[in-house]
Amino acid sequence: MNLSTSNATALIRARGLTKTFGERTAVDAINFDVRDGEFFGFLGPNGAGKTTTMRMIAGVSPRTAGTLEIFGNDPDTDGPRIRGQLGVVHQQETLDQELTVRENLLIFGRFFGIERKEIAERADQLLELFQLSDRAKDQVEPLSGGMKRRLSIARSLINAPRVLMLDEPTTGLDPQARHLLWDALQRLKRSGTTIVLTTHYMDEAEQLCDRLVVMDQAKIVAEGSPRQLIEEHASREVLELRFPEGTSRISKETLDGIGDRYERLAERVIIGCENGEAAHARALEHGLTPESWLVRRSGLEDVFLRLTGRSLDE
Amino acid sequence: MSAAQIAPRRSRGLFSTIGAYLPHPTRWRHVFGYMVAVYRREWIGSVFSGFIEPLVVLAGLGIGLGVLVGDRAAEITGGVSYVTYIAPALMASQAMQFGAGEAAWPILGRIMWVRIYHAMVATPLKPTDIIVGAILFMGGKVAFAAAFFAGVLLVAGIATSPLGALAMIGVSTLTGLAFAAPVTAFSVTQKTDQGFAIIFRLIITPLTFFSGTYFPIESLPGWAQLLSWCTPLAHGVALARGLALGTEIPNAATHVAVLAAWTIGGTVIASILFRRRMLK
Ligand SMILES: Nc1ncnc2c1ncn2[C@@H]1O[C@H](COP(=O)(O)OP(=O)(O)O)[C@@H](O)[C@H]1O
Ligand SMILES: [Mg+2]
Repeated sequence: MNLSTSNATALIRARGLTKTFGERTAVDAINFDVRDGEFFGFLGPNGAGKTTTMRMIAGVSPRTAGTLEIFGNDPDTDGPRIRGQLGVVHQQETLDQELTVRENLLIFGRFFGIERKEIAERADQLLELFQLSDRAKDQVEPLSGGMKRRLSIARSLINAPRVLMLDEPTTGLDPQARHLLWDALQRLKRSGTTIVLTTHYMDEAEQLCDRLVVMDQAKIVAEGSPRQLIEEHASREVLELRFPEGTSRISKETLDGIGDRYERLAERVIIGCENGEAAHARALEHGLTPESWLVRRSGLEDVFLRLTGRSLDE
Repeated sequence: MSAAQIAPRRSRGLFSTIGAYLPHPTRWRHVFGYMVAVYRREWIGSVFSGFIEPLVVLAGLGIGLGVLVGDRAAEITGGVSYVTYIAPALMASQAMQFGAGEAAWPILGRIMWVRIYHAMVATPLKPTDIIVGAILFMGGKVAFAAAFFAGVLLVAGIATSPLGALAMIGVSTLTGLAFAAPVTAFSVTQKTDQGFAIIFRLIITPLTFFSGTYFPIESLPGWAQLLSWCTPLAHGVALARGLALGTEIPNAATHVAVLAAWTIGGTVIASILFRRRMLK
């Protein structure tokens, strides 16, 4: 992995960052830098160690080994100072249901020691930005999932953080709510906030992240911009062949030579190639009879498949 | 990077470890303020229901038992009516119930279900700040309710001196805290609310009967007396009663010290256990 420091300053810098829970290693000696102003992602399946990494950055989970610097400080010793400049949105809801939408922001701002007047101004701006102004006086409970998530993010911005940390922000949201949230995050990024996000959605990482690391089983397996990762680890196009009856009986010899490489999943064969149509023609020549097939451009999904031999949603 | 190159985490020095557990001098106020905001809507209701019940008990027991105890009352009470005898004790005992209750479900709920404490530890607040703010708020709530109770006692003529009534509010608050703090320490270790049934049925409720509330502690066997004096309530009752009746309170300083010890000890242990739970 390339560790050479770039010219942009790293706000977060981890080297050999490790976390074990008893026998289990949740995060295994990972290295990464988050640079000022970028949208940085941790992409990986459930249990990869994303949340644990986020918790270590926020200083709410003491690391087992390695070094970790946030704004040049060590979360072990400067936790409160670091957290004063972070915004954290948890994977699970942490809003206070007994307070109104606006009160959630006002109260939270106080935890950072910000003056009431300043909090009130900022709260109104944030409600506006996240399209919650007309719900300001409402209780939190009846809000939709998407609104609650937007409120959580608005609340995490009450201290005008240098870095916003989002742990799986769109998990459980319907497609429309996701897109609304993506728009809000992109606006936020343009206004200069550094954003760190974890996700197990390929399209989300591809849409939002300037740079990302792919995590699997506590390790970082690849690093780069979505485009770099795809260029480096996937071929130009992908041919997907569907076999509802299963793929186990298809021989290796049949699959060899159709494309540059292939991955065999339970009911699909994924073939990486330069030209999908041509590969499909070769597949028929090899005697394959898929129930259906499709050709698409390669994405991060294929990068993950290539690196781990598994599909992200399996 | 090979494993050999990974820097092992330096362990904290003693100084920094203690520092991690010390509350920030002012930040607990924000936690207190948060609780005030949450309870603003149900403030009167919750305090009212917390102390209306013992007033009903007081009326029923005072009149009913008073009749039953009859002439023997003077023997037990040292001359005053039975109502006058149990009223200040009920005030202390209710402070215990109230303090313990506030430290149970409201604390566990904010860890397990509301999860707001997870968001709060990700701010500059330290776990200790959260515990100190929460426990002080419980004290404030007990004080508020006790003031209501004391007002009723004054109006009813059971408490005679306003100054004594004021001191009773202080004693009740301290008694409430002496339970709120250790119960908080228990709550922060729980994953369900089932443990609370045990705490309340086996400890809190029975304590009322063994702490001199309805009859003098001296009528208990020696070992039971000793046990009672180890818990906070007996001390709260002794102080509250002495203040209400205007009699001299032997060992007053000891009573206050025991209550303070439970409060401070409970808060320290709660802070340590809460930190351990939240920062894994
Ligand atoms: N508090 C904990 N105690 C024990 N194991 C944990 C704890 N938190 C996480 N883990 C384990 O660490 C691994 C990584 O978890 P996590 O960081 O939550 O992954 P992700 O967020 O990528 O789904 C998992 O195997 C999980 O079971
Ligand atoms: Mg997670």
